Amino acid sequence: MPKELLVVDDLQVWFPVRRGFVESLTSKEQRFVKAVDGVTFNIKEREIFCLVGESGCGKTTTGKAILRLVEPTGGNVRYYGTGLNATMMKEAIERAVSKKMISKKEAEEALSTGAIDVRRLPKDKMKMLRQKMQMIFQDPYESLNPKQSIYDIVAEPLVVNNLGANEADREKRVAKALDDAGLRPPKHFMWRYPHEVSGGQRQRVGIAGALVLEPAFLVADEPVSMLDVSIRSEILKLMLDLRDKKGLTYLFITHDLSVAYVFSDRIGIMYLGKIVELGPTEEVIKKPMHPYTKALISVVPKPDPRMKTEKIILKGERPDPAHIPPGCRFHPRCPYAMEKCKIEEPEAIYVSQEHWVSCWLAAGEGKTE
Amino acid sequence: MVLLEVDGLKTYFKTQEGTLKAVDGISFNLEKGQAMGLAGESGCGKTTAALSIMKLLPANGFIAGGSINFMNQDMSKVTGDRLRAIRWRDISIIFQGAMNALNPVKRVGDQIVEPILLHEKVDEAVALKRVKELFELVGINPNRIREYPHEFSGGMRQRVMIAMALACRPKLVICDEPTTALDVMIQAQILQLLKNLQQELELAMIIISHDLSVLAETCDLLSIMYAGKIVERASAVEVFSNPQHPYTKGLIAAFPNIKGERKMPASIAGNPPNLINPPVGCRFADRCYMTQDVCRQDEPPLIEVLPGHFAACHFVKPRGV
Repeated sequence: MPKELLVVDDLQVWFPVRRGFVESLTSKEQRFVKAVDGVTFNIKEREIFCLVGESGCGKTTTGKAILRLVEPTGGNVRYYGTGLNATMMKEAIERAVSKKMISKKEAEEALSTGAIDVRRLPKDKMKMLRQKMQMIFQDPYESLNPKQSIYDIVAEPLVVNNLGANEADREKRVAKALDDAGLRPPKHFMWRYPHEVSGGQRQRVGIAGALVLEPAFLVADEPVSMLDVSIRSEILKLMLDLRDKKGLTYLFITHDLSVAYVFSDRIGIMYLGKIVELGPTEEVIKKPMHPYTKALISVVPKPDPRMKTEKIILKGERPDPAHIPPGCRFHPRCPYAMEKCKIEEPEAIYVSQEHWVSCWLAAGEGKTE
Repeated sequence: MVLLEVDGLKTYFKTQEGTLKAVDGISFNLEKGQAMGLAGESGCGKTTAALSIMKLLPANGFIAGGSINFMNQDMSKVTGDRLRAIRWRDISIIFQGAMNALNPVKRVGDQIVEPILLHEKVDEAVALKRVKELFELVGINPNRIREYPHEFSGGMRQRVMIAMALACRPKLVICDEPTTALDVMIQAQILQLLKNLQQELELAMIIISHDLSVLAETCDLLSIMYAGKIVERASAVEVFSNPQHPYTKGLIAAFPNIKGERKMPASIAGNPPNLINPPVGCRFADRCYMTQDVCRQDEPPLIEVLPGHFAACHFVKPRGV
């Protein structure tokens, strides 16, 4: 059984709602937008774990909170990366020690293979850990600085982290990252600007920017949703290749279940800041247990007009994370909602060894018919 | 009855580098109550084709050839007041990213009343009543007509845009990527709404999307565009069950199918050609798996392979026509 690389335990990200002057005088209770409200999952080494959900369900915030690009409000994120032993990390820590950024003891701790509590890491050490945990962003048209050459964009993480002995060494690393991202020959792309390359190549530049630090764990936030369908699978294949060659682990964030279906090993379905169903991809898609999962699967457009399937179209839109309904948070839109769902929040119920769902129906209450 | 007849339409853009041939000779007919899908990668000219029909091209764009006949009038000769009368009353459009196309400082009801008052000799009360009916039609509570766009969610705003497009009871509605910015669940709601409306009101529709699966769910006819040309045209069922052009085959194979086998979909390697200097011969030749010398020399004509099924490829032979 593969080792766990990342354990996310009851992660919470709450954003305070700004109060007006009068409201603060009337001392009403401070309200929060609970973007992520108790998310628990783990990712094994070399695994592709996929978070799926509608926009605003908190999937991107979860990804960012793991990298501490937003500060979590509660919960734990533990990272068991052996990648920390890589020479590059050592180099960075030694430099930090020499600059008295951290003590020797702390450096040893960070280097040991044990769990690293991501949430409690001081900022400077988090910066170092982030060399092993990188992010690929959604929109390759907006995430690249149009005034920087591709070399500058990809070399930026090296500059920020003070890596690379000299300019020649940096250039070598950038060339390798571009080559890994499938931009071959790298020399041909290095001195171009983002507008000179196609959308698919832009996304490869984004991936190269993440790869240049040789990370072990990547958060890929909708990396293909802005791309044309004809080139999507090229990018997905590249990501699979990188996993095989470099032993990368992915947290893949998408709203597109059909992409998640072909690409990921395990899926977590998110609704309003919580995972409602989690399990191996094949099992979740073929035998969905949660009514929300079932509905999501039924509305994925099928690329074939001959396949007419029954659609479960949920009424209304997703409620506001500032006003999460009591009980099961899905009950206002659930076609099978019972009295119990309005009062009590369901716990995770295991339907098989790795497949759990939080729904009272799975607990044997009520009937789906 | 043929509502719209597009014949050999060429729309070019003047740019600094030269003339960009965005749409280069496309032809299709659309009858009353028919929904046609226009599919293709970004930059293949599908939006330009739609804008040409409504004569909404930007200043550097011009129609270089071909004709557009709408309800037996030659659109190239329609100008000024007559053109303004046709726009929105007979042809309306739901723009891409429609959610951001609403005026943020005007009540949504007033925004829809505006075209009704412009096009029809009715007073405001009648127009407002129509807006309420339209809201009901697209599934919004009619009491919300005095609200502002920011009070609506994305899907609801898209419904407002649909109501606005239907305000003057047009005969043809062009939907440019109607669901691209929306969630799957909202997408399903909107697609169902469009389909119901199309059938109820006998609307002719042109739906533009890069997402073949969206078109598969809503359209009777499909035209596949590549680099400014239509490479395949047939009924939607035909296109999916019996694709002829290698590009169409590639596009269909590129879709992951959640009901099918769990495998990585195929991709089409390479990029579309530069449309300022399009290659001689077949424009798809550089990315095609069956390219031969003939593909790089001669441009394949769009031939009728089976009755009503057209494809433009050298290796497609007519059968049973």
